[in-house]
Amino acid sequence: MNCLEFRRLKLADPRRLPEEARAHANACPACHTFSQRVDESDTVLERTLTVPVPEGLPDRILLRQNNESRNRWRVFALAAGFVFAIAFGARYLMVARSDEPAQLAIEHVLDEPQSLTTYRLAEPRLLSTIVRNFGGEIKEPLGRVRYIRLCPVGTGTGWHIVFETPQGLATLILVPDQHIAAPAAAATAGWNALVQPTPRGYYALVTDSAAATSLVHRLLQERIHWNV
Amino acid sequence: MAPNQTQFEQMVRAYSAELYRYAYWLSRDRFAAEDLLQEAFARAWKAWPELRDRTSAKAWMITILRNEHARGFARKQLDIVDQDPDELELPVVPSGAQGLEMEQMIRTLPLTYREPLMLQVLGGFTCSEIAGILGATEGAIMTRLTRARQALRGELLGAETRRSVR
Repeated sequence: MNCLEFRRLKLADPRRLPEEARAHANACPACHTFSQRVDESDTVLERTLTVPVPEGLPDRILLRQNNESRNRWRVFALAAGFVFAIAFGARYLMVARSDEPAQLAIEHVLDEPQSLTTYRLAEPRLLSTIVRNFGGEIKEPLGRVRYIRLCPVGTGTGWHIVFETPQGLATLILVPDQHIAAPAAAATAGWNALVQPTPRGYYALVTDSAAATSLVHRLLQERIHWNV
Repeated sequence: MAPNQTQFEQMVRAYSAELYRYAYWLSRDRFAAEDLLQEAFARAWKAWPELRDRTSAKAWMITILRNEHARGFARKQLDIVDQDPDELELPVVPSGAQGLEMEQMIRTLPLTYREPLMLQVLGGFTCSEIAGILGATEGAIMTRLTRARQALRGELLGAETRRSVR
């Protein structure tokens, strides 16, 4: 093997050199140095390509897959229920997932449990920027921010924020460009939510009790000013 | 739990991290990468019973991911301009200037070079396997990998020279 052949092989697949190529590198000082340089670059390359993977990713994938499987059954069940309902003159058909924003906010928290156990982009400066872009001004800190993530919400996206309060962890979801007519509340599976319209969209607040939601909402009203 | 479901779950847990990284470097956006991965796995689940050779699941998933990316995300990526730069986090934290420079260089590398590099370095595929996934000849893949490494090395050396001049 000559130097040219060795270098071509080394650059194409540095980790799978044939025996003949390895022997050449051991015998040729110039190619040995070349080989070391390629290995150095590849180490940096591998480190760079290995970007951090979001926490809870496999769980979110499987959750969606399970939901879709259930939804397929739900379609069959609904179809059967529909026939049944017509036969017996039933007037209402129940569906499990809700389009109500307050209920949707609770479902979102349930779908993203890692938001309550992990720290992510938890910077007060980032929260101020997000709230400002949403048409608000934080007059006093809300509490220690633990988690910030841009999530799919309804027909668009929303900022999912978790912060600490004297009442425990509170989830605030800021949903720009999707509007609701009036405040609303919901309670499901031990979670309590309220939604409130703002000039730029709406926000949802979720805690683990009605009392905590009410107290944290008061805190929000005192500490965030919404520009009209 | 049904055997199909169990095997699919094992596949998700085994490959989601690697596939996420692949999706990230395809889309160059962490949110788009997760959406892309979700779509790819949703499609994979629908086709899962048809996959006869489950030992080739990783290469099969990469093909699905690439198709999903080609289907819509390449176009959508152009729309992702509404974020404040402050709101974006740097996806990689290798120490030192060399790592940051490398990240920029990989980002600017043409997809025809970037993809085989990702498949080799992240996926551990051989040139022959990469050729199969990308639908090219093995020789063409070797040429692309050689040029990609030459380009990266050249850029790194240039950056080092610029740093030493300062």
